[in-house]
Amino acid sequence: MKIGLIAMSGVRVHEPELAALGVSLPQFVHRGKVIASLPSLGLLTVAGLTPPGHEIAYRECAELPPPGAELERFDLVGISSFTAQIDEAYALAERYRAAGVPVVLGGLHVSLLPDEAAQHADAIVVDGAEGAWPKLVEDFANGRMQPRYQGLRAHVFEDANRAMPRFDLLRGRPYNRMTVQTSRGCPLACEFCAASLRITASFQQKPGQAVLAEIRAALAVAERPFFEFADDNSFVRRAWSKELLRELPALGIRWFTESDISIADDEELLELLAASGCAQVLIGLESPDEKSLVGLDPHGWKQRRCDGYLRAIERIQAHGISVNGCFILGLDSHGPEIFESVREFVARSGLLEVQVTVQTPFPGTPLYKRLHDSGRLLAERYWEKCTLFDVTYRPLHMSVAELEAGMRWLFSELYNEREFLSRKRHYMELVKARG
Amino acid sequence: MTRPELESSVRALLAELSRRDLAALQRDEDLVEHLGLDSLQALMLLAQLEKRFGARFPDARLADLRTLAALVEELEHQGKELVS
Repeated sequence: MKIGLIAMSGVRVHEPELAALGVSLPQFVHRGKVIASLPSLGLLTVAGLTPPGHEIAYRECAELPPPGAELERFDLVGISSFTAQIDEAYALAERYRAAGVPVVLGGLHVSLLPDEAAQHADAIVVDGAEGAWPKLVEDFANGRMQPRYQGLRAHVFEDANRAMPRFDLLRGRPYNRMTVQTSRGCPLACEFCAASLRITASFQQKPGQAVLAEIRAALAVAERPFFEFADDNSFVRRAWSKELLRELPALGIRWFTESDISIADDEELLELLAASGCAQVLIGLESPDEKSLVGLDPHGWKQRRCDGYLRAIERIQAHGISVNGCFILGLDSHGPEIFESVREFVARSGLLEVQVTVQTPFPGTPLYKRLHDSGRLLAERYWEKCTLFDVTYRPLHMSVAELEAGMRWLFSELYNEREFLSRKRHYMELVKARG
Repeated sequence: MTRPELESSVRALLAELSRRDLAALQRDEDLVEHLGLDSLQALMLLAQLEKRFGARFPDARLADLRTLAALVEELEHQGKELVS
């Protein structure tokens, strides 16, 4: 049996003025290209979970023939997509189904809105593929595929459940970045988060030796790739993290991950990170003052940590690990003053990289429910605008137009050559001071 | 310091910082590609060169300083400025 696994990828912006502006923003464009160039770890994992005896083909949606042209023949197709591309995924599913090829849909959006997705597929996989995909393939091979398969929400990384992602499917293709996952979930549980936290019952940690084996497998198919750890919050379990980090220098890799600001508290961890080839940590700072962080996460963790943001950023970057600081515009506490406030904080912080997005109520999140229930969503269905750059709801203390205009202003203030060079210079001086 | 001496010392320092043998590195060869550096490593290398030579590369030129020849030229240029 030949199974086609198709990844929907790419960064999209719908608001025309912002999309046009994006073309001239060096860092914005760079990060967009990076994201678009990452292979789908989810589908490589699905490939790894496939029982032996079946042929697997991994394809990016951009590689597919245009509508109207003949599709590559598969016996079964699996498609994974995030929310912003889901309508394209549904359209692709319809093309295959019209050609007589059964389609399985999976991924975060499908897990959060299974009933919607089920209308466009012969079967759906909800939550992780672990615990679901092997059974689905077996059932399909025996002519009894069911419409819905429930993946595991716990014990995901136990030996009997996990599989080595099929990095070998990428051999000979021009990927210079590879992804591995060391954990799923995040204990902070921010209201807006639409990441793996939503498909796990609790924080899931992969065994360190399995992570190392995956890195070695990825190194075997690409020349000196840069690694992205596809985690929502690495280093939650410090002892485990340090054990893994002590093994990484021998692999000689450079890598990136997402974490929270508390890593700055742990000198030993920072030393290990620097020695392990960690180039950058992406940290959700969300907003520059603590009042605006009230209610963002159920335990008020980010609000409590906000006062120490500047010292923490400096401490992490002084170890030669750059921080990509992320801010969300349009929180309920934000009025039009937030744009200057973020600009001023970034200037003081010395952050080497900055990611600014607009608050986005992804379906299935507590934020979505709250805004939906209070009648603040601008449309009933807006998935194509879940890009992180399109406004989809009414902010509390400014108008939609003010939020859009303020974001454009802030982008032009942060993502220009002068500011980029200034941030580089600050980082170089930190490196020099550390020696 | 003559230009050949300066070039030799920059080459030696780059080899020390990158822990690579750079004897075969051509003067106009792209250092970042030759060493397989990512953008952050390239920036850190420039910072370390600045520190060791007591120099400060113009921010607007950072992206251009990707060859041994360009680095030597810039350091030489700064040396002349310091003398004058």
